[in-house]
Amino acid sequence: MTFLHPLVLLGLAAAAIPALLHLLERRVPPEAEFPPLRYLSEAERQSARRLKLRHLLLLVLRTALIAVLVLAAARPLVPSRGGGSLVHEPTALAVILDNSPSSGLVIDGRPVLERLKATARASLARATAADRLWLVLADGVARAGTRETLLATVDSVRASALRLDLTAAVRAAARLVDAEPLRAREVHVASDLQRSALGPGRAAVPRGVRVLALAPLERVPENRGIGTIQVTDAAVVVNVVGTPGAKPAPVTVRIAGREVGRGLAAPASAATIPLPALGPGWWSGEATLDPDELRADDRRLFVWRVAPPANVGASANAGAFVSAALAVLEDGRRIRRGRDVFIGDRPASGSKTSIVMPPADAALLGEVNRALAERGCRWRFGPAGTPGPLTGPVAPEGTPVGRRFRLDESGQQPTAALDSVVLARVNGEPWLVRDGSVLLIGSRLDTGWTALPATPGFVPFVDALMNRLARSEAPVGEAEGAARVEFRTRGTDTLGATVFGLDPRESDLTPAAPGLARDVLGADVLEDAAFAAARFAGTGRSDVSGLLLALALLLALVELGVATLSH
Amino acid sequence: MVDTQRFDLLDPAEVARFGGIEIVAAGVVEGFLTGIHRSPFRGFSVEFTEHRAYQPGDELRYLDWKILARADRLFVKQFEEETNLRAMILVDVSRSMAWRGAPARLTKRAYADRIAAALALILLRQRDATGLITFDDAVREVVPARVKAGQWARVVRGLIRTPDGMRTAAQAALVHVTSLLARRGLVVLISDLLLDRELALTALRYLRHRGHHVIVLHLMDPAEAELTGPPEVRFRDPESAASVVVRPRELARAYGEAVAREISAWRGTCRRHGIAYHHVLTDMPFGVALRLLA
Repeated sequence: MTFLHPLVLLGLAAAAIPALLHLLERRVPPEAEFPPLRYLSEAERQSARRLKLRHLLLLVLRTALIAVLVLAAARPLVPSRGGGSLVHEPTALAVILDNSPSSGLVIDGRPVLERLKATARASLARATAADRLWLVLADGVARAGTRETLLATVDSVRASALRLDLTAAVRAAARLVDAEPLRAREVHVASDLQRSALGPGRAAVPRGVRVLALAPLERVPENRGIGTIQVTDAAVVVNVVGTPGAKPAPVTVRIAGREVGRGLAAPASAATIPLPALGPGWWSGEATLDPDELRADDRRLFVWRVAPPANVGASANAGAFVSAALAVLEDGRRIRRGRDVFIGDRPASGSKTSIVMPPADAALLGEVNRALAERGCRWRFGPAGTPGPLTGPVAPEGTPVGRRFRLDESGQQPTAALDSVVLARVNGEPWLVRDGSVLLIGSRLDTGWTALPATPGFVPFVDALMNRLARSEAPVGEAEGAARVEFRTRGTDTLGATVFGLDPRESDLTPAAPGLARDVLGADVLEDAAFAAARFAGTGRSDVSGLLLALALLLALVELGVATLSH
Repeated sequence: MVDTQRFDLLDPAEVARFGGIEIVAAGVVEGFLTGIHRSPFRGFSVEFTEHRAYQPGDELRYLDWKILARADRLFVKQFEEETNLRAMILVDVSRSMAWRGAPARLTKRAYADRIAAALALILLRQRDATGLITFDDAVREVVPARVKAGQWARVVRGLIRTPDGMRTAAQAALVHVTSLLARRGLVVLISDLLLDRELALTALRYLRHRGHHVIVLHLMDPAEAELTGPPEVRFRDPESAASVVVRPRELARAYGEAVAREISAWRGTCRRHGIAYHHVLTDMPFGVALRLLA
């Protein structure tokens, strides 16, 4: 048995009042003459046992009456089967309300999010002041708060543009509630339980933490959404995602509000739509699908830059792979021969940008470093570095680098202030650095130094090197969020852009099988009614204060009866 | 007012306000005799001795019809034994008798004095030799039984002279009666009977054995018959100073039963031994109490 107001139990000391009054009463009764004392003594002698029993009974009744009243005021809770209990033991409760984009799905005119919000609201509404509460939304942030504040938050929730990794969210929430020193710990998951929302691994719910997950709807419509978009000079490739096996849907591409082409694609396929010739500069467009039940993924933006090919020259000792790549790019009209960008093993005079690789002969490093210093470069080739994988956005991730020289920075001024940036690293050490008009590569672009030339990404890497990195351009990035484009500028120059859109996995509305959800989340997957009944069921308590008040009333009546009979 | 009121039927406390023992007793007797129209106490003799003037209350069977026919005067015949009836009235004057349950009532002693005086007056009017003994745990005042003029005044003085005593023990007074009543006579004991019942009954049985007609008048204040009082009170016996703390409301029922048992025990024992027993509450009109004795 537990109590809602345990401090009230201190009042149980009051139960001793009748006994104390009985024991400590020192009242001197009034005195009076009464001649027939012998009759009185006889009456008392004959009634002594009855009166003693009656007094004892009254003492017990009054003590019990006070004790029962105090217990009732403390609101005792006794274990109760089923979820109908109005109260429960103090519980650490985390409610996960999955308002990811898929919750914006509308079925029969009712958004799925409303059902999820109703579930979350019902869980929070059952909470008491003794509970510790958190609310987790699609952003993954656990918001602690009182019942009222969290209910207000739930009421204001809209479908988010962020995907929620349910596995990670349940794992974090379970650890959160497990850390609370309360009697019970529960995690309520109000989610559409997309199969794609289950992240890698398992939630690893600690023992003692109950996870309840709302069962997904039985009927989920087929859905198609715009996944990713790749833009080349001549075409845009729109990848369509969604429910596997769904029928193809028309894809429309617009640039600057003008439709430039249409295609047809089913989920897991792409539509390639040619682009018209456009002048140099940054361009943005959008690919759209016909509206369906989930509107959020029917439109996606894309951005690309149209620029004239770079004028590139290469020294004779740049290597065969570089030469071959440049030839390919020249054939593809991605570059032209010239001296604006020059690649070799030392800075080239007369070029706007020099791309410098280490010389094949280590003995020439000193000469190269002096030339770099004369060019005003604050970086130099250092001693040989350890082999390792390549990291960074400009080159294929994980490409092995077997041989390299460390790139060391010299000079006192901070790098950031001098527009010096590390573009790729190996073992955490700079491998590709841009400093003003010089790009330094820690390895020669040769298979004897790195496997990069042997990978399919080599030519795109050289393309980016010549057309973007040499011009201090950042790549177009993608980020999760509401559909929009943010450009990065410096002065009047646009250096790059970030395109925000939904996670493509949100478009696949296929619900996870209950067994899979149970296995991954460690949750009981329950329909609405069962979910309502299971809330706090493990710690469900019935408030028996009403029963105790009835008992107190009965005791009072019995006491009144006994006292009246006594008199 | 005294002439027009039936003192015998009024509230004793009201009657007591009209005067002392003599006035009240005389008034009570007058009213009493007027009401019943005959003398309540008959003599025991059958041998005619003399005539006396008829008094209200005399039985008509003793009226001398011949004198009435000849002289048109009312005379009753008296018998030798009747004039020789000797009565002793024993009045308990112990401390317990000086108690009353309410200020508006008479004390048991005051009630006893007045009923004894009235009884004596009635007896003396019948020319019965009447005497008085007052007692507590010893004999306090003795007025030997006489029939001569001024006897009633002596009896009344005896009552007035006797102060409230201490403890009660009737056997000494009852034994003393035997020395005062050589022949069989009438013994009236007026007491609250808060005494040793067995000892008192032994003495009463002895009197009865000697041929005396014995009447016991058990006086009780109404507050003694029914226990009332504050929620808790310490009751103290005025005679023994013993005390006990009780809650009257709790004990009322048991007390009432104890009182009823005591009265029943006295009544039963007295009946078995030919003793007349009467239970009288002090709010009972004197006439009603006297009627019990008739």
